[in-house]
Amino acid sequence: MSKPRIAIFDFACCEGCQLQIVNLEEELLDLIDAVDVVEWREAMSEQSHEYDIAIIEGSITRPEDEKRIEVIRSRAKILIALGACATIGGVNKLKNNFDLADVKKCVYGKSADMPHLDTALTKALDEVVKVDYKIHGCPIDRKEFTYIVRSLLMGKTPDIPLYPVCVECKAKGNPCLWDEGQVCLGPIIRAGCGARCPSFGFRCFGCRGYVDNPNVNAAKDIIEKYGLTTDVLKSKMLLFGSMQEPTNA
Amino acid sequence: MIKQNTVEKDIYLPQLATVKKAAMLNETELYLHLAMDGQPLDYVPGQFVEVSLAGIGEAPVTIASSPTFKDGFELVIRKVGTVTNAVHKLQPGDKLGIRGAFGKGVYPVEEAKGRNIIFICGGIGLVPQRSFINYVLDNRADYGDVIILLGTKCQSQRFFLDELKAWSQRSDIQFIETVDQGEDCWKGNVGVVTTLIPKIKSKLASAVIPVCGPPVMYKFVLMALQEYELPHENIYLNLERKMKCGVGKCGHCQINHSYVCMDGPVFKYSDLGVMPEAI
Amino acid sequence: MTIKKISKDAFGKFVDGLIKQQKVMGPCAKGDRFEFEQLDSSSQLRLDYDVTLRPPNRKYFLPPVETLLTCEVGGGYQSVYDDTEFVLLGIHPYDLAALNQMDQIFSRDNYDTHYMKRRLAATIIACDVVTPSKDVFAASMGTATAEAGFDVLLTDIGDSYLMETGSPKGEKLIEKAQGAVDAAAGDLEKRKNIWKENQGRLSKHKLNCSSSYLPKLLEKAYSHPVWEEKAKTCFSCGSCNQVCPTCYCFNVQDDVSWDFTKGTRQRAWDGCLLDGFTKVAGEHEFRKKREDRFRHRLYRKGKYVPEKLGTKTPACVGCGRCVSACLPDIANPVNIYNRLIDDLGLE
Repeated sequence: MSKPRIAIFDFACCEGCQLQIVNLEEELLDLIDAVDVVEWREAMSEQSHEYDIAIIEGSITRPEDEKRIEVIRSRAKILIALGACATIGGVNKLKNNFDLADVKKCVYGKSADMPHLDTALTKALDEVVKVDYKIHGCPIDRKEFTYIVRSLLMGKTPDIPLYPVCVECKAKGNPCLWDEGQVCLGPIIRAGCGARCPSFGFRCFGCRGYVDNPNVNAAKDIIEKYGLTTDVLKSKMLLFGSMQEPTNA
Repeated sequence: MIKQNTVEKDIYLPQLATVKKAAMLNETELYLHLAMDGQPLDYVPGQFVEVSLAGIGEAPVTIASSPTFKDGFELVIRKVGTVTNAVHKLQPGDKLGIRGAFGKGVYPVEEAKGRNIIFICGGIGLVPQRSFINYVLDNRADYGDVIILLGTKCQSQRFFLDELKAWSQRSDIQFIETVDQGEDCWKGNVGVVTTLIPKIKSKLASAVIPVCGPPVMYKFVLMALQEYELPHENIYLNLERKMKCGVGKCGHCQINHSYVCMDGPVFKYSDLGVMPEAI
Repeated sequence: MTIKKISKDAFGKFVDGLIKQQKVMGPCAKGDRFEFEQLDSSSQLRLDYDVTLRPPNRKYFLPPVETLLTCEVGGGYQSVYDDTEFVLLGIHPYDLAALNQMDQIFSRDNYDTHYMKRRLAATIIACDVVTPSKDVFAASMGTATAEAGFDVLLTDIGDSYLMETGSPKGEKLIEKAQGAVDAAAGDLEKRKNIWKENQGRLSKHKLNCSSSYLPKLLEKAYSHPVWEEKAKTCFSCGSCNQVCPTCYCFNVQDDVSWDFTKGTRQRAWDGCLLDGFTKVAGEHEFRKKREDRFRHRLYRKGKYVPEKLGTKTPACVGCGRCVSACLPDIANPVNIYNRLIDDLGLE
């Protein structure tokens, strides 16, 4: 059996998720043994138009990006969104809360009108093309990434948690950060990270996106119980949840 | 005080079986003829096994053959999930893991002796029923009238065609079939399986009635049977749930108090009164 | 049965001696909370703890993740067991009740060798509660004190501990305790008073019926509006399941080595409150509604499990962990059962 050909591409992102792949260390060699990496700008100079699996980091923020992702989609049998920018738009989507001309001016100042700095509303990959699998997180979890890749190479659908971060947080024996005054998004955010941030005492920022059916009413309810306003909660949800339904609810 | 069990059998440990034959029955249903490498599988109609593929997982599958079938056992597996997708790639000679057979709630092979039996099957629900049907046919003299009602979504999804043909040609059983949507070349009944019930109403009164089909079917079959005021203990329902461990521990298959993997998968309708989650 | 008295100093030395021989798991401070950890020294031991974050019975006998099997792709399966001997030191009576219940579940019907090997390798030293937690209601569930199910039971009577043995294993263990003397009548009197006091102290919430009445109460409560009302603000986050000492549902997942020749099968904690818990291949989900899942947990605790085991003790031991863990404050079984009693009456 010939090894599946994998290409890794990036759009608007910090390349941190690809860095997580590079940082697999020993497992990176296992990965490279199991597949044929044919294009990966961050790690090699070869390029190819023929691949079975395309792994995409980043969100779509310019009209020309849409065309590029459509071409990649047409070439790939399986398309995987890698990391929060690709799966939910990530922090890039914050800009959708503002007037785009203001955003450009704020970021680029005097150069804002240069044609190559054209910008559009940020989109997650699945707002432009069909996405077969999502590897959540900012950055992705290395263990989850390798599990998903192994599963796909075996021809099996990986189990991605439907349940929220609290499940993993409680299983780890962490005290609840709400009791310590933090506005943790754990109860409404998809698990799979092993409750990484709460395990180190940081509230969940929501980088893996909402669970399928988040109970935002409950979130508003507890906000009142803890003497906070829903604005405080919303501001926390905006970081990774801009322009998403539960954030606006 | 807890006692140590002298039998150290690991209830989660699959035993190997070998694929003797694998064939697609229609677009989604795979037929597997299997033989255990070690001890033959000991089972009764209605029981299920956990089919296990190394590195992929397990899925519960009801046994399609009758225990009177002595050459291994048969399964029919629909391609719906991770495990079943992988099972569909199996070829003769391949190995897979089997745990079971599981389930104490099974078809009433003894209780039904001497009585009429009316099988009501919807789509893939034919598969578990086939175990009991073939058992009855192999012990034909022990049972009264045998009627098989089968409803399939469309003609192309029918399977076990040779067997269906043989059933329709037998004079000692009555086999009535329908499809939900009839294509031009379909000469038979058109309509859901419940439309067949009035045709055999004279036989319903004291018959044993095993029912198996997709979750949505039960409600309609029970509604259709209601007007004949049949004793609920005569109706047997095969209730599919997420039987993950098969041994009454993991909790996924629970219907109210009952673990389907232990108390089922076949339940008497009269026992479901206290199980509002069942239908 | 033997009842010995041992000074706290001598007990510390006894524990240090045990640590040299086998693993000893005991309650330790974790920030301002507590958690069972493997002890390096008796000085870490905090037998004055209120409640631990995770229930020790689940943590050690049905751990959050455990490997059940390894397998060769296209080949056979091998069981993986962990039967390292260890001492579980300081488990409170309510968690002990949960442990005893779980022992029944995993040894009855289908004997679970993975659970039972670990269980039989353990020595259980229970400990009467010194500091009640803020939400404990063990008294309502009949688990404020322990009568059986331990190898040794400790009671803090001030400057020393009383050690009662409950099994030959316990007898053998405390033989090693230097400086232990037979307990005097006055010591037993002190212990009796502590037990009596603990009935009152472990009662931060009070169930308005006998716990053995719960199955009957729930028989008539299936369609009560409380399920939907409470579930309105339920996150379905499963925190109540995860921290519960009597929840034992698990999920099973396979993984494979990078060369695709070897597989492992693991089980991990699952929870009936979680979305997707009853979803079968083909996407049909049987207990899809939030309120139905919410009700299921309370029925398991109050009716299904006790009826399955044929015991009068409910499958809620009153540890209060779910009460503290539930952010929208809807999980408290006592509140729900009392509400049902108010509306449906006792008869």
